[in-house]
Amino acid sequence: MDLTFDATEAQFRDELRDWLSTNGPGPEPEGEDEQYAWRRDWQRKLHDGGWAGVHWPVEYGGRGATMVESAIFYEELARSGHPLPANVLGLLLGGPTLMVWGTPEQKDRYLNPILSAEEIWCQGFSEPEAGSDFAAVKTRAVEQADGSFLVTGQKVWTSGAQYSKWCMLVARTDFDAAKHKGLTYFLMDMDQPEVQVRPLKQITGEAEFNELFIEDARIPAENVIGGVGNGWKVALTTLMNERAGLAFGLQVRLRVMLDELTEIAASSGQIEDPRVADTLGELHLRCEILRLTAYRGLTATMKYGQPGPEGSLTKWMWSETNQMLTQFAADVVGPEALTMGTKWSYELLRARGNTIEGGTTEILKNIVAERVLGLPKAR
Amino acid sequence: MNFDFTEDQQEIRATARDLLASRSTWERVRGHAEAGAQDEALYTELGGLGWPGIAVAEEHGGQGLGMVEFVILLEALGEACAAVPLRGTALAALFVEHAGSPGQQAQWLPGLASGELRGALGTWADGVGELVPDAVGADIVVLLDTDGGASLVPAADASIEPVASIDPTRRYARVSVAEGGGVELLTSDTSEALRRAEVGVAAGLVGVSQRALDMTVAFVKERKQFGVPIGSFQAVGHKAAQMLFDTEGARSATLFGAWAADADTDQLPLGAAMAKAAASAGGRTTTAAAIQLHGGIGFTWEADLHWLYKRAQLDAVFLGGPATHRARISALSAERVVAATR
Repeated sequence: MDLTFDATEAQFRDELRDWLSTNGPGPEPEGEDEQYAWRRDWQRKLHDGGWAGVHWPVEYGGRGATMVESAIFYEELARSGHPLPANVLGLLLGGPTLMVWGTPEQKDRYLNPILSAEEIWCQGFSEPEAGSDFAAVKTRAVEQADGSFLVTGQKVWTSGAQYSKWCMLVARTDFDAAKHKGLTYFLMDMDQPEVQVRPLKQITGEAEFNELFIEDARIPAENVIGGVGNGWKVALTTLMNERAGLAFGLQVRLRVMLDELTEIAASSGQIEDPRVADTLGELHLRCEILRLTAYRGLTATMKYGQPGPEGSLTKWMWSETNQMLTQFAADVVGPEALTMGTKWSYELLRARGNTIEGGTTEILKNIVAERVLGLPKAR
Repeated sequence: MNFDFTEDQQEIRATARDLLASRSTWERVRGHAEAGAQDEALYTELGGLGWPGIAVAEEHGGQGLGMVEFVILLEALGEACAAVPLRGTALAALFVEHAGSPGQQAQWLPGLASGELRGALGTWADGVGELVPDAVGADIVVLLDTDGGASLVPAADASIEPVASIDPTRRYARVSVAEGGGVELLTSDTSEALRRAEVGVAAGLVGVSQRALDMTVAFVKERKQFGVPIGSFQAVGHKAAQMLFDTEGARSATLFGAWAADADTDQLPLGAAMAKAAASAGGRTTTAAAIQLHGGIGFTWEADLHWLYKRAQLDAVFLGGPATHRARISALSAERVVAATR
């Protein structure tokens, strides 16, 4: 057992820290489109420095970093205060899915533009009537005489859709097959009038996500990923990556906010109140347990190819802790925390989504009960 | 970065758990607890295997292994709810080794490490330790003052009156210095020994939580109501998932504390407070949930869950309960943050 970084890992961290201290995206501009362009420029800078596809294998243009180094990357990026690169879904979900399921031609065509942020990717999985019950997707893809598909349906919670060139789209191709079996995974070109993007205003007042309205959009045969009817399996690859990738960055973000809150409580004297101290103690405890449990999962994955029972817990831990923290800020920070336009008010509202996005806590508990504890399938 | 046991540690863990699974069955635990007795045969066997001295230096007759190995054994003892005074002996040895004089070490450590002498650790105020675990039959009792000092009280100088706590899987006593008896002070700073002891107690609680979870999972798969196993109900499954959450979180914190004791003592104060806070809270919630998920059966004497619940109750407050340790985490974290912003 060694909970420190070894010499190679420490060198990786120091080199990265050094790079991040002299390279950054510059000041964040006003306006949603401007901010997106700013993050896109930031990704180009990361790419030029060789830091865009840290966890991608060298043969695909990545850095070939180990899982620990990849964790260090997200920790250090969060610690630097710099944003995630614009094409985060392409880097974390799309690319790794293609590496598993893509043909050589598909890898050649799509991977490099993901890294350079030349082509942005979005994720078209959820639908109004297929949220947690993802296999219930209704979007239809009908094969045409020339082998291409015509797609009609509606998708929701599609972040970055207005900036995207490609959508990872899961649609039903076989209407008679059992629920999971009739799905196919496509890459859909967003540059066509048959795909309409409408911003979805969320409780923070901004529109981080969109709805997609698709009517007879055309997808050529060569844009099927992993074969017709195999969409469920391909989508699981994407979802596995969704749950693994970001944990380390999120954990550091939590730590940074918690330290800020601790500083406020200490300098204002509120920490003398045992109730405040108790909640702060609990938050620091949870935050550290999250970090440790994430590393336990990482070690297990590296040694045994899959995380142990602890691996299913980190997203659940993080989301609940972030909600607890941002709620506690309303007590400690004072009016600023409830005033529109401040960081604390934004975080308080945004945190409500954490226990829903990427698998609701209820679904995660079902997964723990069934797959980790081996209980009978839930009803 | 490698947050897992070594092969040797895995071997120790598997051997310890196998041994206790066959030696410390519920039948035996129940028999000893109901008789108000300790399992002498098991204690002798574990002493012969060197368990009490696993972390004691070889020069003092121990195995010379670390806190990680120490918590592996204490977790296994908690999981088995073993009715042996081994923890008391091992914790007393920690204090003699880390805070005692060379004379005290030479006098006590070889006997404690081999299990031939029995030890106990407790807290006292105004000359009385009200509820000292493993004190009945102890040869030496280490008693902690509220201000960080610690005293060694040999049994010959002590008055040890058995007290029936709600946890009869350990024997508790009221300890004071007998008339004319003497007390030796431990000469060095006791804080590091205490931090190690907190991690050790936390490990036992993790074991208790794990057992409560395993028994519950087995039960809800079998028990049928409304024609189906009750484990198929989300209300049941989600509560069991929460038990895993609490158990694994406490395990992460406890392993961190043990690792810090072995490899990075600067982090030991935080690690020990985290371990004790998480394992104490987790021990309470998981054993309570186990009784709840067993339904009426869980409330019966014969279901054996109450041994776990009772042990968790006593261990959760021993060396400070969850709130005490959360306050320490808060203070240590504030110290770190303030130092960094200066």
